Amino acid sequence: MSYLNPLRLHFSGQFQTNVSTVNNDAAHYDNAAFQASYQDMEGDRMRPPNGWFNPQGDAAYRLLGCTIGSAFVGGAAVPSSDPVLGCIVADSDGSVPGKLVDLDPEQQLVSEIWGLQVRVADSGGNTLMQGDFEPAAFIDIWDRATGSGGGDTNAGAMYQSVLTNLTWGDVSASNFLTRLQQAAAATGMLSIKFNMDGINMDFTAPDFMCGRITGTIGPAAPDEPEHLVIGRQFMASPTTDPNIQVNFFVPAGGLNFCVAWVDADNAMLYVDLGNALSTDIPGGTLNDLGDLTVSIYDPIATPVDPAGTMITIGTIPATGTNGYSDPSWYPTTAGIATLPLTSDQLTMLKFRILAISGNAGILIAEAPSGAFLRADGFVYRMSPTQTQSINVYAMQYGQPLAGTSVAFTLDPSQLQTQQSPDQWPFVGAAPDVAIPTTAITFNGSAPTDSNGIAVLEVAAGDPGKVRWFNSGVDYGIDGQIYGIRAAFADSSLQDGPVNQWNFISFLLWSGFTPANPVTWTDVQPIFQQYANLYPVMLRFLNMASYDDVKAHSGLLSLAFGLPVSDPNSMPVTRDLSPAKRAAILAWLQDPLPGEAPAPAPRALAAAGAPQAPPGASPPRGGKAAAAARRLVLQAR
Amino acid sequence: MIRLQRSMIAGLEDPSPSLQSVLDALQQAIKLEHATIPLYLYALYSLDPTKNAEIVAIIESVVVEEMLHMTLSSNVLNALGGSPEINKPGFIPTYPGALPGGVESQLTVHLAPFSMSGPVDQLQTFLTIEAPEDPLVFSAVEDDTITIGEFYDAVSASIEALGEGAFLNPSPNQVGPDLMWQSVVVTDVATAQQAIQTIVDQGEGTSTSPLEVVGAGYAHYYRFMQIQKGHLLVPVEGGGPDPEDQYAYTGDPVPFDPTGVYGVPVDPGGYAAGSAAAFANDNFNYTYTSLLNALHDLFNGNSSQDQMNVAIGLMMSLKGQAKAMMSGIPNPAVLVGPSFQYQPVNPAA
Repeated sequence: MSYLNPLRLHFSGQFQTNVSTVNNDAAHYDNAAFQASYQDMEGDRMRPPNGWFNPQGDAAYRLLGCTIGSAFVGGAAVPSSDPVLGCIVADSDGSVPGKLVDLDPEQQLVSEIWGLQVRVADSGGNTLMQGDFEPAAFIDIWDRATGSGGGDTNAGAMYQSVLTNLTWGDVSASNFLTRLQQAAAATGMLSIKFNMDGINMDFTAPDFMCGRITGTIGPAAPDEPEHLVIGRQFMASPTTDPNIQVNFFVPAGGLNFCVAWVDADNAMLYVDLGNALSTDIPGGTLNDLGDLTVSIYDPIATPVDPAGTMITIGTIPATGTNGYSDPSWYPTTAGIATLPLTSDQLTMLKFRILAISGNAGILIAEAPSGAFLRADGFVYRMSPTQTQSINVYAMQYGQPLAGTSVAFTLDPSQLQTQQSPDQWPFVGAAPDVAIPTTAITFNGSAPTDSNGIAVLEVAAGDPGKVRWFNSGVDYGIDGQIYGIRAAFADSSLQDGPVNQWNFISFLLWSGFTPANPVTWTDVQPIFQQYANLYPVMLRFLNMASYDDVKAHSGLLSLAFGLPVSDPNSMPVTRDLSPAKRAAILAWLQDPLPGEAPAPAPRALAAAGAPQAPPGASPPRGGKAAAAARRLVLQAR
Repeated sequence: MIRLQRSMIAGLEDPSPSLQSVLDALQQAIKLEHATIPLYLYALYSLDPTKNAEIVAIIESVVVEEMLHMTLSSNVLNALGGSPEINKPGFIPTYPGALPGGVESQLTVHLAPFSMSGPVDQLQTFLTIEAPEDPLVFSAVEDDTITIGEFYDAVSASIEALGEGAFLNPSPNQVGPDLMWQSVVVTDVATAQQAIQTIVDQGEGTSTSPLEVVGAGYAHYYRFMQIQKGHLLVPVEGGGPDPEDQYAYTGDPVPFDPTGVYGVPVDPGGYAAGSAAAFANDNFNYTYTSLLNALHDLFNGNSSQDQMNVAIGLMMSLKGQAKAMMSGIPNPAVLVGPSFQYQPVNPAA
């Protein structure tokens, strides 16, 4: 089920993600060493050290000009007379835009969308359906554009989530929307998945911080995960070609991680290639990788086929009217192809894996065991003493896998910190990640239940001030980040390529006990850091100024008091611990001055800031720079 | 002082005015109060606050009260069983043009950066809009026009003529002082007239003092005059019995630094499709339209703190966007003036 469904619509258009980039560099969190120039737009090769490519970003996440390219009822395309085909997919027309938010400067590769409302509206903007996008992080980021250049503009990634709190207008004129409303009645939710690529990072371009989005909306079934399809998970291996520059992930077989779903009732296979097919230029037409043959792999050797047999289900053509490399295909389908299945194939698919192949070298398949494991939600923020139960879904051949054991281990490999003295374009050292390990405790393993769910039970301790700067003297980054990876305890199930992105990220906040009563001394470092990292705030007030903050205490109380799910919630970055939030709210009620606490600035950052090496290529963006700082990069 | 078309009070002068004619006039009042807001905001955000802090503070204080006036008019309209219409394309005036109900030959208003001289002297426009009535001038004008003061007087009188029976009980959809400072919950003739008098007093001041009846500040005209005079208006110690002798523009300086005005256009809009300016302007107008939608909901039954917070969030978003686009963020080579147009769909960049 989920969006991979006989009942679904596809949309395409543009997104804007106007993130601030001053916080791309963990060393910018060092209040004592912060320089005014760190708020400047980057210059040639980031000289001098600066605020990267969008220091004035306000974090807005917008849907722009998204139109519905096709819709299906019972697997059949709706007729052109169904008004849904003239509709748009848009964000809120009654509240501010959603926000795109990094988890942490040392885990920038699970950016979440918060506070987004998604609407289906007629061409005049009149709402026919609206729902709240359950916050979700991207996954499966890869080097999607294969042409020249590299970095963030070449990247692609995907989001999957659900829309909740649905409200419907009069949809009676559209058979599709009527059916969708009926299908949503069971859960009160819809499933949504979209792919993003081709972001433009040139601040002189009209579409600065915008890129392409294609997506699908369908029903959400009861008891299914919100951010994951219980289906056939295709596993990509990393390239081993030393001539290919890898920023994020380059699949050896040319196709990125993707999923398919078998609709046994209707004998159909749904293959979601929306984030799996490469492009030449960022956001461009899909590369022609040859006709893509979808097959069932039968490993039983015969004298004729000693390596086993590929039983063809069908072909997704590369060219022609419905060819995926035709410019019209991707916006119309969001990358989803369907193929009919025979009853024999349906039977085989219960115990055989799927593979997709194209031109020579183009290949992706499920793990040999057909088994797959992933947490539904994979980004968490926790306070000391807080506990969190996390559902991890095991599946095999697209079905929940009951009665197997799942092991959980700490895995910091994809967290991002400084690894070498050559830091350019970062201005300083990044604190160590994932220490102390004693601050996070969890069960080492858990069995899956009848629904294939193993529960990871995490308890947060207090990591202390491990990410303060200047040997722990100067105020720094709150808390600590950790990663936990799930794996099958049964090694025979753990036999496919490992997806490096498939792990759970945690931000564990530090304990925080302000003085009683709370004074400016307690909250000044927090406000100072926001003033440093988010120059956008200066359009409203100087958050580093006692007088200014006090003068705006009413509005700030409102914004800091909103639920974090609210698009107006401050801080926009969702990185403020509940303890610090409580202190700020208490202080705003009674803004006591306290003592002047600002530490003497340290000069070393200015003196020791790295310069671009001679001949350095232009910076490739925030995500690529962060990805280059991962503890373990993609193996070559 | 601006003059409105006498048709604004059509039916109100009847000894037994129809309820509908009063509702129509109140809807016009909401439109009129709103219509000044884009003018003031455009000028406000065209100013570099580091160079023109005093002027910024003065304009900002006026805008906040115009929002209150919209609310007060809506409360009266709701109390009489009407429904404010905020979220329709026709609610927004066309700039350049007359204010809603205004006489175009008398005053054409432009969205324009702040100025104190030149062909579009925006401060003079503001002073004209907010100027108090001068009875001497009043007696000399043609009779197909009325002043804003006359308009509100007519509305107030017609409400009295309608009588207590015209008010719904309980009074619906009120946005009270718990949600907006100085607001008035309207339940009867007295509170309706109090709401209307607040609008008049804050806008024009009383004939006896530049002080507002409600609130601590001066009426709008006198606030703007401080910019014109270059000094804050302050009470005169031991001044004479006449209002003119009790106050003087001799307070702290209100300097104007012309280099602290961003080079945004007069009469913005018409940006080329696909340009950076069009992108910024589209986002702004979409947010502006979203704010009108949010206010429409606020004034039509969802008068909750949550909905007020949604509206405040949108106002802050508009402020952030306007200040960025008008000051050349992200591209210092591109200064964009928001056109304040109805835009229910946000197109691709």
